[in-house]
Amino acid sequence: MRRLRGIGVGTAILIAVVGFFAWEIYDKGWVLFFTLLVNGLTLGSVYALIALGYTMVYGILKLLNFAHGDVYMIGAFIGFGVLTALGGSLAPEINVWLLIALMFAVSMLGSGGLGVVIERFAYRRLREAPRIAPLISALGVSFLLQNSALILFGSQYRDYDTFDLVGFGGINIHGVFIWKIRILVVAAAVALMIVLTLFVARTNLGKAMRATSFDREAAAMMGVDVDRVISSTFFIGSALAGAAGVMFGLAFGQIYHFMGFLAGLKGFTAAVVGGIGSIPGAMLGGILVGSAESFAQGYANGNWSDLIVFGILIVFMLVRPTGLLGTRAIQKV
Amino acid sequence: MADKPPTTEQPDQPRIGVDSWVASSDERIEGIRGARGVALGAFEHTPPPFRLAAFVALAATLPLFLSSGNLFRYGFFTLVYIMLGLGLNVVVGFAGLLDLGYVAFYGIGAYTYAILSSDLHGIHWPAEVTIPIAIIVSAVLGLTLGLSSRRLLGDYLAIVTLFFGQAFVTFANNANPKGLTGGANGIGNIDNISIFGYTLTTTKQYYYFILGGFVVVFAALWSLVRSRIGRSWMALREDPLAAQLMSIPVNRLKLLAFMFGAGIAGLTGAIVAPALTGVAPGNFDTSILITIYAVVILGGAGSLMGVVIGAIVINVSYELLTPATPDRARWLFYGILILAMLWKVRPWPKLITLVVTTVALGYGIHAIATATSDTATSGAVNTGGFLTGAIHSYVVIPKNPGRLPDYGYVLLIAMILVLTTVKGWWRVALLAPTLYLAAFVWENLLIQQPSVTRLILFGALLVALMNIRPQGLLGTARVEIV
Amino acid sequence: MKSKSGLTLILALVISAIAVAAAAAHTDGPARTAAPAAPAASTAAAAKCGKTMYIGVAAPITGAASSIGVQQLHWAQFAVSQWNKSGAKPKFKIVQGDTQLPNVAEAIKVAKTLASDKRVWAVVGPAGSQEVQDSFASYKAGGLAFVSGSASRTTLTDGSRKGYFFRVVPNDSVQGPTVGKYIVNTLKAKNVYIIDDQETYSQGLADTVENYLKAHGITPGRDSISQQASDFSSQIAKIPSNTQIVYIPWQLSAQAQAFGQQLKGAGKSAKLFGSDGLFDPSTFKITGSYDSFFPVNTQSAQVKAYEKAHGGNGEFFGAPSGAAAGVAMLAVQKACQDGKITRSEVRKDVATTTIPKAQSVLGVAVHFTANGDLKGGAFGVYQIQSNGSYKRIG
Repeated sequence: MRRLRGIGVGTAILIAVVGFFAWEIYDKGWVLFFTLLVNGLTLGSVYALIALGYTMVYGILKLLNFAHGDVYMIGAFIGFGVLTALGGSLAPEINVWLLIALMFAVSMLGSGGLGVVIERFAYRRLREAPRIAPLISALGVSFLLQNSALILFGSQYRDYDTFDLVGFGGINIHGVFIWKIRILVVAAAVALMIVLTLFVARTNLGKAMRATSFDREAAAMMGVDVDRVISSTFFIGSALAGAAGVMFGLAFGQIYHFMGFLAGLKGFTAAVVGGIGSIPGAMLGGILVGSAESFAQGYANGNWSDLIVFGILIVFMLVRPTGLLGTRAIQKV
Repeated sequence: MADKPPTTEQPDQPRIGVDSWVASSDERIEGIRGARGVALGAFEHTPPPFRLAAFVALAATLPLFLSSGNLFRYGFFTLVYIMLGLGLNVVVGFAGLLDLGYVAFYGIGAYTYAILSSDLHGIHWPAEVTIPIAIIVSAVLGLTLGLSSRRLLGDYLAIVTLFFGQAFVTFANNANPKGLTGGANGIGNIDNISIFGYTLTTTKQYYYFILGGFVVVFAALWSLVRSRIGRSWMALREDPLAAQLMSIPVNRLKLLAFMFGAGIAGLTGAIVAPALTGVAPGNFDTSILITIYAVVILGGAGSLMGVVIGAIVINVSYELLTPATPDRARWLFYGILILAMLWKVRPWPKLITLVVTTVALGYGIHAIATATSDTATSGAVNTGGFLTGAIHSYVVIPKNPGRLPDYGYVLLIAMILVLTTVKGWWRVALLAPTLYLAAFVWENLLIQQPSVTRLILFGALLVALMNIRPQGLLGTARVEIV
Repeated sequence: MKSKSGLTLILALVISAIAVAAAAAHTDGPARTAAPAAPAASTAAAAKCGKTMYIGVAAPITGAASSIGVQQLHWAQFAVSQWNKSGAKPKFKIVQGDTQLPNVAEAIKVAKTLASDKRVWAVVGPAGSQEVQDSFASYKAGGLAFVSGSASRTTLTDGSRKGYFFRVVPNDSVQGPTVGKYIVNTLKAKNVYIIDDQETYSQGLADTVENYLKAHGITPGRDSISQQASDFSSQIAKIPSNTQIVYIPWQLSAQAQAFGQQLKGAGKSAKLFGSDGLFDPSTFKITGSYDSFFPVNTQSAQVKAYEKAHGGNGEFFGAPSGAAAGVAMLAVQKACQDGKITRSEVRKDVATTTIPKAQSVLGVAVHFTANGDLKGGAFGVYQIQSNGSYKRIG
């Protein structure tokens, strides 16, 4: 009975969504639809990378790492630092694509290192503590990072000036314009996600991570070095966040000390919507949240678009409480 | 009696396989010695109503020696956070539900009062009508949000409540249907509370009013906690499945918790709105939520008195560091450094070595700097007060520091982190240069931007306190039972 | 045990915090103010002018709006340091207040702090119109004059804040029609699109311009974005391709820059028209865009000195706060001429303070109307040239 009801609700929603899009396409045209879809994918890729970090850490430690958004912000600033050190967007000293690759590499390393340090000093002692203690510690770290960035870098927004760097070129398909840099961002995100999935599935460290997230004590008894696994998880998650920061700067231009807050919120949403603890879920959740935002802003008035996104997500969570690909938590008696 | 369970090498952490009652068995057997023991004994022997009365009497004397500006920031707002913390404590501390949209109820209470008592719609109802309406509206919305908790567990509930909180702010700011909420401008010129014909106009009157509200809420919660409902809540918090098996109506209790928390927040909002004479959507965003959570967690979730102490610590330290008086922040900073040194560095030989080394190192580096270059120490001390001379001759303050303080700041953080990992004489050896570097960074970077420094110190306080004592000040150490 | 000493440390912290608070409360002077609603009675006692006097600066130094608040703080500090360097007496120091816009409750706390701080004689700020509205009662209770460098909502100077609130920027009812007139008469644009950033400043201006255009036969499209947004592709996709002008009265110049680039990248030929919040040659650089701003002389000695001290960045959003600080200092100096000073005296002097055009960084002379507005405030229209400089064209 429950399954039938679930299928019934699911189909009803599907019909409603398809109907809505059909109406909008009829009303406002295909070009707008595809433009919004492309935007949603670009935005969604950034959110997906942030969500991956949240989901991986949650899977292993059952901790919501609220400082993750600020690691993303630091990654964006590191990328900006590399860009400025090598001449800036107007006069880069080395080949542009090499410069971008370097920005990614340095940022990922730096953010990864930062993530490891945060775990070592802010969370390690709180593994056995009640669940809210590391949460507050994470909030403290978040405050620290945000305001350290403010005091060190100043309050002015920094601009990657991507269009000076790579120019305005792109692909034009029947009026739907896709910039070069957005293609790069989506491609890089997809590549990173593929690498991560392969890593978790095939390598020993990946297996250790999966084992630890399943049952930490049993994994320790099987000889897995839990501390090392947790540090690696934080490293990878934070490195992805750093990459997301550089991508955001490249695709959307401006970075500032407060950007981690909202992006972290959306990344966290994406992780939960996709089913927290599930890696493919995070990717899917990110794309869903990005698309919802893009379509809401495109089809509705700007004043209502945020509310619509929240409304969609609340309804979604009520219909499917464990997220898209989350597993129903089995309660052991 | 002699057969105690085996301890791990970290005796202050909860032990696996035992619960908090057993974990504190040593304490209870031996009793607590010294001044702390006497104070605790006296405390436990006073009947609870007298304890509350003593606190209220103390609080009531505050307006006598604080100016109205200080009373507003320290007295009134501390009570606001106490009440908000008490409300959140019901949801998080007693029922164990993670509610990240709590600040929306605070806003709903404030906006309800504002809509019903301002020029915006020309409605000017007296407070004895509007305040109960605000409480009821918040409670009903709390109930609605609580309904979602039937289907959602843990972190999924957190996300929905978070959306709710954001949705409220967005609704008040952007949607503003037919001018209901005043949009981004908010609602201004809110009437003062006029309750049964008596109008509150001064800060002192508002302070006493909210003190009265606090007494009511605290007494109600205190008796609620000791009633059957309170015990059921705690059972629900510890293990929802076991509670359900014991025929505790889990769903109804969750809804009740949401309603109570929301109602208290609504009451607080209804009192704050006229005190501020205006509400804006930005007053209810996530930074307030984080502060309320910090209050509850710091004090120890589940402990009423803990929330009171947590709110006092957080609000007082936050207001003390206001950028209007940076020299006070300097007092606090150096005072804490010295206090920490005195408390934590034992025994005497280590302490004396440390003090001597730090002082010598400082003056040494200062002398070298002065010798090498004219401008190395000719910068001015920022609002030093009567310590200016001492600071100027001890800390290196270059005329044109450039990026040096920024690097110093990063290095300082690194050194502090390293310090937490080493022990013994290594610690003393590293502590001296760290202290001097801290003074350097403080004088050259942090004190120049007191508003940012305030938030940095706040964040550091949260991290440090959580790591030292994760169960909060007055919380009970809890364990996961295998 | 570790936790015990940790707990005692924390208790010591609490006690010391409370002790310091109590002690510090005393240093605020015999501030046994009776009813704070009684206006200025408590501060009527005349004080002697010392060698150093204090003015307050209330700006959003941290938080979401810090990028504009810090500019205002910097300009106020610059004005004060220039004054001190010039040898004028008395010397001045600043007492800062962080209003954390959009959290208006902090602005009210700052107002009460400054009002009960006996050293402060006038205040520069606050930045936001809703902050002015909500903190007015506190400033009035303390008898303080406050001069804002950016609160531009028209209703603020409707007379109910006479004598206490002043502003050195023209209000929305001046900027809006100037822009509308330029668009209709000079640019002769027929297809206009307006986007606001959901803040009260922006919405006010957008509404004024929209009404002006409608009254002249043009129906502009209307949309809004949030100040935190960085991806404008969805909004840009909605803009019709025949749009000639996109009016963006935003506060954050970096957002405008990102928007303009994305607009260009989407192949739309519309030109941008900004407001005074976007006047920032270091950030907003899209060639051909228009911007309305006070007739500031970007080559003047003051501006050059400021740029030199701030790494080449003019931070023009804060320039009016520098002028406001100048007004406050002049008023305090005047009130100090007889050696004694009260806050009501300073208020009267602020109302009559003038800064001649030559010395005003705003490019217009500073006089106040009876209600506190800037007399004769006008806006100029600038266009961004290909070398990035802003040229006045209207």
